[in-house]
Amino acid sequence: MTSDITSPPVETRPSLVGKHRVPDRPRTPSRTSRNPLRRLAGGLGTALLSLGTLLFVLPFLFTVVTSLRTAADVARSPLGIPHSLTLKNFSDAFSQIHYGPSTLNTLFITSVSCVAITVIGSLAAYPLARITQHWSTAVYRLFILGTSVPVFVVVAPLYLLMRDLNLLDTYTGVVLIYIALNLPVAVFFYTSFIRSVPADLEEAAALDGCGAFRTFFTIILPLLRPVTSTLLTFVSLQIWNDLLVPLVFLQDPDKRTVMVNAYSFIDPHTVQPTTLFPAALLGVVPLLLIFVFFQRQVVAGMSAGAVKS
Amino acid sequence: MFHRRRATMAAFLLPAIVVYGVFMLYPLARGVYLSMTDSLGGPIANFVGTQQYRAMADDPAVTDALWHTVLYAAVVVVVQNGLGLLFASMLFRRPKVRKVLNVVLLTPTLISPVMAAFIWSYLFAPTGGINALLDLVGLHGLNHVWLGDTSTALYSVAAVNIWMFTGYSCAIFLASYMSMPTELLEAAALDGASGWRRFVSIEWPLLAPALTVNVTLSLIGSLKVFEFPLVLTNGGPAGATDTLTLLVYRNVFGGGKFAYGVALSVVLLVTVVVLSSATSSLLRLRERRI
Repeated sequence: MTSDITSPPVETRPSLVGKHRVPDRPRTPSRTSRNPLRRLAGGLGTALLSLGTLLFVLPFLFTVVTSLRTAADVARSPLGIPHSLTLKNFSDAFSQIHYGPSTLNTLFITSVSCVAITVIGSLAAYPLARITQHWSTAVYRLFILGTSVPVFVVVAPLYLLMRDLNLLDTYTGVVLIYIALNLPVAVFFYTSFIRSVPADLEEAAALDGCGAFRTFFTIILPLLRPVTSTLLTFVSLQIWNDLLVPLVFLQDPDKRTVMVNAYSFIDPHTVQPTTLFPAALLGVVPLLLIFVFFQRQVVAGMSAGAVKS
Repeated sequence: MFHRRRATMAAFLLPAIVVYGVFMLYPLARGVYLSMTDSLGGPIANFVGTQQYRAMADDPAVTDALWHTVLYAAVVVVVQNGLGLLFASMLFRRPKVRKVLNVVLLTPTLISPVMAAFIWSYLFAPTGGINALLDLVGLHGLNHVWLGDTSTALYSVAAVNIWMFTGYSCAIFLASYMSMPTELLEAAALDGASGWRRFVSIEWPLLAPALTVNVTLSLIGSLKVFEFPLVLTNGGPAGATDTLTLLVYRNVFGGGKFAYGVALSVVLLVTVVVLSSATSSLLRLRERRI
């Protein structure tokens, strides 16, 4: 999603409620007919569907296979059966895009931004969800406005601002930009989530003499875990995969991220697929590994959008 | 006691307001101001009113880019959501393969646009994957210089965008499918409604909120597309894939026309806000009518 997509999926249903729902009802209407013709049609449909899906991963599989072949082998027949496999392409790409240091840079920027967005966003969402007054509605609207502002609109003035603040070429500058860009999504996610949680518990805590701070940390924060994992999936993808912000704000080669290095060192129009593909895969691997591990949360997070209560 | 509590709570907003205000709202306001100056990015800037905007009207590069951006968005929104819906409705009917295929479809979504563009720049190359595949199945006549021809370049770039995010659209539609009341679907099955009929009269209306989300997200995402045209074609051939974002980037950082680039970014903002809010309010209205 280019990056897409800085606009958040619509209201996330609190999984508090979801957890206590009746376990797995049959989710697909039962087939009333066992007619063989129908079954044949159904089988055909499944085959077509699998074929269609295969078409979507084919470029990816092709990338992996080609990365493992020698340049001469690929030149002879781009789609042919590989004669010998090699890891040399990967080690070449590894050094060409300065993979080790640039991955560490990307990881650092992504994780610091993610932590800050979660903390600042959830803190801000609490009063926005619980105080119902004109000013708080106005502040909330101001944040939501940010979900449809493309980075391009602020990139030039931001550049001047960063220059004046002496924050060009610093991680601080880049992280601050990412926080500002992603706060709208975080505020939106957390506010709509907290609003869907009844306030009884907090009121009881207040009567017991619990201050706002303690109420937030002991009652609200633990509740936010499911929505946080959704948000983090979304935000970390945005930041890890982003090209523009590090391209503009980090000129020092030692500070550059994977995407910038790949973009500036590799010209797709003159370069062999055996150089191009390993570079592309290396840029994706760390995230892909993390997401294979958290596969269920990722899919749930990405599709949380449509389920509107 | 409650009064003090509320004041503390309001203080929670401070960090967010400071960061958001300084690094988002202030640049936004300053951008609008800069677009009405002759700034070159340095300290000297004279107020020139609407001069930059008037210059755009005489600049064919701008009108072309605006057209490309809108056309690109239209193609992506229609095809990506159409395919996503098709996959979702087929997957919903096949619970056995549903989970696996859904995850498989989502893999391209995890790749960064830069990396996706890398992969596809080779697939689209004259001797690359797609032409080789066409040769392999005997359709040599369809061979084409996909990114080098002004009539196919924009659509080829759009295809990469569609490839990447169809899984995302599908996942949102599928989530909506999964939240449909089972009783309704069962009743329809008992009444003998099947296939197309069931889709049109039951599923389609129930999918309305998901459609709103999907269309709005893909519209905003494709209007501000940057990495795909940048890496795949850099606006070429002959400006056929120049989008507003590419023009903004080139003018602001390419030297000489800073304020013009900033004014273009304001045009981009207006385009995104107007089109996305119009679309989403139209779709919301439709939701209520169904």
